[in-house]
Amino acid sequence: MALIELHNVSKVYRLGNQKVPALTDINLKVEAGAFAVLAGPSGSGKTTALNLIGCLDHPTSGQVIVSGLDLGQSSNRQLADFRLQNIGFIFQSYNLIPVLTAAENAEFTLMLQKVPRSVRRQKVLALFAELGIDGLEQRKPADLSGGQQQRVAIARAMAADPRVILADEPTANLDSHTAEGLLDLMRRLNCEKGTTFIFSSHDERVIERAKRVIHLQDGHITADDTVPS
Amino acid sequence: MLLTLAFRNLWRNRRRTLLTLSAMVVSAALLILALGVFSGMFRDMLASATEQYHGHLVLARDAYHERRDLFAHLPEEIVHQSLLADDPDIIGRSPRLRSFGLISRRESSQPVEVMGVIPRMEQQVTSLQNQIVAGRYLPADQDNAAVIGQGLARKLDVQPGDELVFVTQAADGSIGNDVLIVQGIFATGDSRHDNNLILAPLPWVQKVLVLPGRIHEVAMTLADPMRAAAVADRLNRHMPEDVTVLDWGTLLPEMREVIAAYDVSRMIIVTILYLATGLGILNTFFMSVMERTREFGILMAQGMRPWTIRSLVLLETLMLGGIALVIGIFCGAGMTFYMQQVGIDLAGYITPVTYAGGTILPRLHAVFETGNFLVPAGMLLLISLLAGFLPANRAARLDPVQAVREE
Amino acid sequence: MDLLYLAWRNLWRNRRRTIITLTAIAFSIMLVQALHNLSYGVYAGMVDSGVRAGSGHLAVYHDNYLATRDESLTFQDRDLIDKIAAIDGVTEVLPRLYIPALAQSSRESRGVVLIGVDPTSERRINPFLKDLPAEAMVRSTDSRDAVIGSRLLKELQINPGQKFVVTAQHRDGTLHSELLRVRGVVHSGMKDIDGSLILIGRQRATVLAGTAGAVHELAIILAETRQEAAVHRQVETIIGSRPEIEAVSWEQAMPNLANAIKLDYASQKFIFLIILVIVAIGVVNTLLMSVMERMREFGVILAVGSKPMTLRVMIFFEAFSLGLLAATVGTILGCLATWYLVKVGIDLTDFVPESLEFGGVVFDPVLRATWDPNWMVRIALYVIGLTLLAAAYPAVKAGRVTPVEGMRHH
Repeated sequence: MALIELHNVSKVYRLGNQKVPALTDINLKVEAGAFAVLAGPSGSGKTTALNLIGCLDHPTSGQVIVSGLDLGQSSNRQLADFRLQNIGFIFQSYNLIPVLTAAENAEFTLMLQKVPRSVRRQKVLALFAELGIDGLEQRKPADLSGGQQQRVAIARAMAADPRVILADEPTANLDSHTAEGLLDLMRRLNCEKGTTFIFSSHDERVIERAKRVIHLQDGHITADDTVPS
Repeated sequence: MLLTLAFRNLWRNRRRTLLTLSAMVVSAALLILALGVFSGMFRDMLASATEQYHGHLVLARDAYHERRDLFAHLPEEIVHQSLLADDPDIIGRSPRLRSFGLISRRESSQPVEVMGVIPRMEQQVTSLQNQIVAGRYLPADQDNAAVIGQGLARKLDVQPGDELVFVTQAADGSIGNDVLIVQGIFATGDSRHDNNLILAPLPWVQKVLVLPGRIHEVAMTLADPMRAAAVADRLNRHMPEDVTVLDWGTLLPEMREVIAAYDVSRMIIVTILYLATGLGILNTFFMSVMERTREFGILMAQGMRPWTIRSLVLLETLMLGGIALVIGIFCGAGMTFYMQQVGIDLAGYITPVTYAGGTILPRLHAVFETGNFLVPAGMLLLISLLAGFLPANRAARLDPVQAVREE
Repeated sequence: MDLLYLAWRNLWRNRRRTIITLTAIAFSIMLVQALHNLSYGVYAGMVDSGVRAGSGHLAVYHDNYLATRDESLTFQDRDLIDKIAAIDGVTEVLPRLYIPALAQSSRESRGVVLIGVDPTSERRINPFLKDLPAEAMVRSTDSRDAVIGSRLLKELQINPGQKFVVTAQHRDGTLHSELLRVRGVVHSGMKDIDGSLILIGRQRATVLAGTAGAVHELAIILAETRQEAAVHRQVETIIGSRPEIEAVSWEQAMPNLANAIKLDYASQKFIFLIILVIVAIGVVNTLLMSVMERMREFGVILAVGSKPMTLRVMIFFEAFSLGLLAATVGTILGCLATWYLVKVGIDLTDFVPESLEFGGVVFDPVLRATWDPNWMVRIALYVIGLTLLAAAYPAVKAGRVTPVEGMRHH
């Protein structure tokens, strides 16, 4: 069984009285260890697909199975627990909690998992060193550059050792140099630790580095290319 | 234009505006209710002194006003003179002759005040006929009838039909001593009247005191009690040298003090309550101004003057104050009306409280009084303006270049 | 970095808003505490002056006397005065006899209640006699001296030193008269007192009424009001062997005063209630604003795997921190205000004519507060509770958001 399986998945949003289809009859399997990108223009359904894979939302029809868990069969409580243990998120606008320091932000998921303070601090310090942001632990998000904030966000996503990290347009707000550095970093984590990465992006720099590119257009998968390594 | 803009701005954050509005409405409405109930207490207090005893005006010789001098009497006919009878403000006149003495029944005796009245005329001035709890009011035809207070009846252990002996010193120096038959028992709630007062026919008291055809005072009721001082002034211009008409305010200086003190404490209570409300308004408008920094920047960049911006924000707070006022007065008046019509009976919890010459009855009962609406209303608008001032200033002092850059 | 810490940090995100809200709460606490302490002090003063002029903190009566005021219900005091006076905390025991009588001068007569007292102890306690020179007091329990209210003196048209007659009903049913002489004049400022008070010696009163050795009332004056319950029990033991008499507290013996205080305090409480409701609405507003602003952040927090309950608890923690801080600041301010009101007080001398009367007692025109720490703590706790209550709606609101909705916000 693949790590992530989508069977005949559709998602329709309601906008007032109008129904807006975001995804139509999607079938998709992603194996563990993938470094895949959902590519397509805005409005193609990338974020919707990512939300479903991330167990944040329920499909209108079809079946989503992530690591053996059937989304349709699970309560919101179970999903929250599942996300906490198995999924890490990275967002386009970083979404760090402004009142917490960089280290505290990275520790957030560990705190929710009730990991003791000293253990989580140690783990986060190691992660910061690995991500090249050591020394910034006590800074508040507002005092960090975009690239640094996104690294802290990666640290937060990585801290709990999730099986999948989902990244929604992670490079959209970054300059080329920073974006490439960040992508190389994630690629390295993918190779070394085997963490599965799934991106949504229309950024060429992301698509170039992906091992698999799934093209979305108007809620349909139009192409699914695996890049030979 | 500015008005429309201000009104629309208020409803941008509907929830916040509604919450602030509700705080203002609650404070205004409950204040109006509380003040109405306080006024009700004072009204009861005043009524216990006037409608149950003095009346609104009392005409008597100065020596009688001053020290209840037995010999400071007047002819009975004075009550019918056209000066009093034809005055449009006076709706009731009652001639009275008063005697202080000891009343006894078997081994028990009590100090009392016996007020000789003509029942038909006394009913125009006092309302004791409505407060009879046993027996009946003074009949017109029986010459030794008496109605007595409930407390007195209890102390003497008498029922309607029982005989009482009254002892006092008559005008001729002799000891007057005569029998009264209890016809009825009244209960006003005022302990001094209930424990001390006896009403008896005027001719009977005149006979006991040996003062035939004489009275001590004429008690009068007015259509509007608040005009008492003015009417008294007018009447006094035509009074003989040693006769004066006193209004209830002069008769009961303590009560006038209490009412004056109430006006002061009303201001204090209103101010205190509105300070707490005012901080809430301040908070809301700071939030709203901060959120709109960019917008104000754009307006200013387009040439709107700081003064206009300030007026806009002040107009918004004033408008909110106005809306709160309308709803608050409506709710407050509604609750006051309910408390006026229905009220709450506290007789199970407390007994009547007597002070400053009057009695507060054990009930919550509201009355409508203009000041109780005007003071909270005026203060609410004032506090809205004050609370709007800081945020308005802040908005007006923005630097358009920086404001536009703000996210 | 636990939830409480996070909540504390969140509180200070919008510093101005938090400070304004904090000010409103703290200010209200200060006000409520200071006003309560002021009333507490004024009421204590009223009770003190009321019991001294009236029937004492505790009073001993013949059963039924209180209900009927029937003057035949006297009792022999025997050794009761000495025994009760020996109880710890009792300052004075005042024997009194109340006799309805007719007071007559050559011109006028008035129905009055003569009070037969022990002149020495009465003068030490009764506030109406405070300004009376020693030589103007009734000289002995059997003298013909009388201390009389100023208005009554005027109405009887007599002067100090002159004689007047009192007539009362004797035990045997006949009317007895006694000649008394005005020794001193009391001017209390209260119409009822000045118009009716006549104090005479106890012996003289018993002769007039034919109730040898008997009293109607033993007024027990305590050093402090709060000793009342303890002394009450001891008095009960002492009079236990005499079923015909009872000991009652001042609240029962002087319902007018007790109810005046109750009524005043009830209206004050209503005002307190309005203040607290307004404060609560302010807190709801602030917390709700802060929740609405952070919807996106809540979406993220939920996405990374926290449960809605965690968010709710966090909001409650924020409210709790706010409440605790405000209660602390408010109580400190309340203490300062109370301290001022205790030390300096509010001087009404310029505003009131001659004496301040409420509930039938005259009290000092300088209003002073008295500390009531228990109540201050209680109101502070109420406010913290109220803040938590006010957090309920914002917390529910925060807990209801779904991650996708939250993140789409703004």
